[in-house]
Amino acid sequence: MAKRAKIWTALGVAVLTGASVAEAGALKSFAPIDNPQMILVDGEGGEGGGEGGGTSSDMMYALESTDATAFAYDAGPQVAAYIDLAYKSYEKAADDAATMEKAVDAFLAAPSAETLDAARKAWIAARPAYLHTEAFRFYDGPIEAVEGEINSWPMNEAYIDYVEGKPDAGIINDPKISLDIDMLEGVNQKQDETNVTIGWHAVEFLLWGQDLSVDGPGNRPFTDYIAGQGNNDRRRTYLKLVTSQLAKELHDLEEKWELDEAGSYAASFKALPPREAIGRMVNGMAILAGYEFMSERLAVALDSGDQEDEHSCFSDTTKQDFVHDLVGIKAVWDKAGLNALTAKRDAALAARVDGLFADAEMKIAALGDPWDKVLASPKGSPARNDAEAVVVALQALAAGLKDVGSKLGVLVLIPSG
Amino acid sequence: MGQSRIWGCLAATALTLLAGLNSNAKSVSVRDMLGLLPVTSQLGGETTRPLADGDAFSFQAANAPGKHQRPFSFGNRLFNTNWVEAPASVKSFDGLGPLFNRPSCSGCHTKDGRGQPPTAGVGPMDSMLFRISIPGVGPHGGVKPVPGYGDQLSERGILGVRAEGEAAVSYEEVAGRYGDGEAFSLRQPSYSIGKAAYGPLPHETLISPRVAPQMIGLGLLEAVPAVTLQALADPDDDDADGVSGRLNKVWDAVHKQPAIGRFGWKAGQPDLLNQNAAAAAGDIGLTTGVYPEENCMAAQAACAAAITGGLPDLKDEFLEKLTLYTASLAVPVQRGAGDADVIAGAKLFRDFGCSACHLPALQSGDHRLPEIANQVFHPYTDLLLHDMGEGLADGRPEFEASGSEWRTPPLWGLGLIAVVNGHEMLLHDGRARGFAEAVLWHGGEAQKSKDNFRTAPKNQREALIAFLKSL
Repeated sequence: MAKRAKIWTALGVAVLTGASVAEAGALKSFAPIDNPQMILVDGEGGEGGGEGGGTSSDMMYALESTDATAFAYDAGPQVAAYIDLAYKSYEKAADDAATMEKAVDAFLAAPSAETLDAARKAWIAARPAYLHTEAFRFYDGPIEAVEGEINSWPMNEAYIDYVEGKPDAGIINDPKISLDIDMLEGVNQKQDETNVTIGWHAVEFLLWGQDLSVDGPGNRPFTDYIAGQGNNDRRRTYLKLVTSQLAKELHDLEEKWELDEAGSYAASFKALPPREAIGRMVNGMAILAGYEFMSERLAVALDSGDQEDEHSCFSDTTKQDFVHDLVGIKAVWDKAGLNALTAKRDAALAARVDGLFADAEMKIAALGDPWDKVLASPKGSPARNDAEAVVVALQALAAGLKDVGSKLGVLVLIPSG
Repeated sequence: MGQSRIWGCLAATALTLLAGLNSNAKSVSVRDMLGLLPVTSQLGGETTRPLADGDAFSFQAANAPGKHQRPFSFGNRLFNTNWVEAPASVKSFDGLGPLFNRPSCSGCHTKDGRGQPPTAGVGPMDSMLFRISIPGVGPHGGVKPVPGYGDQLSERGILGVRAEGEAAVSYEEVAGRYGDGEAFSLRQPSYSIGKAAYGPLPHETLISPRVAPQMIGLGLLEAVPAVTLQALADPDDDDADGVSGRLNKVWDAVHKQPAIGRFGWKAGQPDLLNQNAAAAAGDIGLTTGVYPEENCMAAQAACAAAITGGLPDLKDEFLEKLTLYTASLAVPVQRGAGDADVIAGAKLFRDFGCSACHLPALQSGDHRLPEIANQVFHPYTDLLLHDMGEGLADGRPEFEASGSEWRTPPLWGLGLIAVVNGHEMLLHDGRARGFAEAVLWHGGEAQKSKDNFRTAPKNQREALIAFLKSL
């Protein structure tokens, strides 16, 4: 891509230079060149579609080289291992979400402080397996079509249920709205990006309620779920609907990564030109580390100091999110064999990236907990400095993964430099 | 790889042609020069990302430098922020209203995408607004505000401050036929304002309904040199192609001077900083260094008495980050560019004359953000005002733009609105239900192109739409 752009830039300069000269002089008649091939280059000129023969989005990440041997390597084992890892990761995420659903069922069957606590623990226990799968985001994998229904945040809690000062807020407290999952899916993020109705953080809010303290999580009473009182029946229905939906979505993703399933994404992934597959793998890792995690979840919260910018703010488990996102990225590096593949081509680079993972791991472990306490501390305080160190470590890791991409002949689309 | 060889070859061809032109022709217009640029599926040049999902409009330019990532992410946060009434616990994000349309940018530009008319037919609208004015020329050559109301209908107010009124939208179906006899129906909208809260609206009140456009690639458009736009303009149609193209001349509230208009449905704003400050003030009720006064009219006492979120509501630092964000959203790659129907549609797009205004290639010049500087990109706009005929006219002039002129809107991303926002409501007021209706509404300078489409065989019409959807 960089190569093409240089050509364009050169051309563009020529155009503008030419233009200013031309426009400075008197405009005379000029017969426009009939130049149909200029209208749409892709697919014309006899070689359309390029390698892979499909649409342009099928071929995005492979870099080019005039040296035919530059990127000649066998990526078959990595691609196969990645598919296996993705499948097992979603399988675990779906299983753990199903376990959580059982705990929610038990809570709804007999609401008490104990059963609510068990449901909350089950939510926390189910999160890591999902977070590991976030390394499979950020290319056109199956998660992209449903991510907004699974992990949207930050959310406007008052769109779902009561909040401090607004006892009648939300869908739950409006009996005119008939509750069903199609409706909840239909309005999710529709009227506003923060009008989130479903997914992990909706379940989290329904279990914990608003987090109004710096030291602890939200403290919703179990009595919100005692049947027959106020709008509790609607709240019970809502919680059951969104918990089941989450478990179902994760199960669907598991199936999409099942290689034996006819027409599955896994099968199409396996059929990709190998470097295109490698490109997706590395981009998923680098964009999660260097964009979503570093910037959206960490730096934004640090810059705003607002608790609302905490990823899992109701349960105060944001640090767990950070830890397990990195575990997921590291799993792709090691278990999908990218580490070994890189080492074969550039041992020093592989070792450096290993070091960057270790550094990020250490810096995340040193983070203060809960995260909102870090956000509440003044700029320049040790707690904030520790958090800024994570930002730096993740940026470095993403840059290292970009270097891995260059070595393996794939374009990694993260800001750097 | 095959593709790059084609591109390289074409670029070389173009350079050769240019060399030829420079030596042979007496002079060459900028339009002709831009017509020589190779058009690729990388619609946003190097900013382009391979995205086609629900977040396709929400990523940072692929070539952004690392140091811009954090301000971009914070800008994204600001864009999504639901501003709250002052005083609130989070001091940085209070100051909503007192009068407003929506409490956040993303409220209208949901997922950085496109708004639509209210399905219920009445306001308060979620992702569309009414600009209002009375005939005549107002401050700095702009519109003349409606006494007691201003230049935009605020359909919402904070507690204790009455909304200015309620928009009403209704449609009448108008039947038509393609050349081959196939019937179509367009919905002719009517707009009015009910529940006027601050005195009767003058009889001559002009209403311009506008949906929120998608946010991608705006920095690239900002970085097109003014000299390019001046050269593209052909106000008197000297080249006699039936297409004029005029620049709007508007007021730059940041530098307090006249400037060329680029943004907004009638190119009423000169750049993104002005656009964002005006939207913060007009749409959300946020004061900024550019617009330090709350947007309250003389008759709106409760509005004027409301507590502010500090002066200004939106700090300069925040406005700057918001502007970086709005300037550097990546353009998604064209999908299916190699498909036979898309290729056929691209040719028809040129042959029908669409590309006379919806220019396939532009080139950016210098810009303080290096990621958008010096790019060749494919927005399918010339950023100029064109007469679109009586059918589309809002009858509300804005600076130099007449009541029937509109700025050519970029077409990039149009095919993804269905994915991002779940609808295909097109044109400035979302009256068109899909691409065919949008084309069929064209008139004025685009009458001939529209007729070409209307009278073309069905397979050609479908190919043209396939091309538009690939963008």
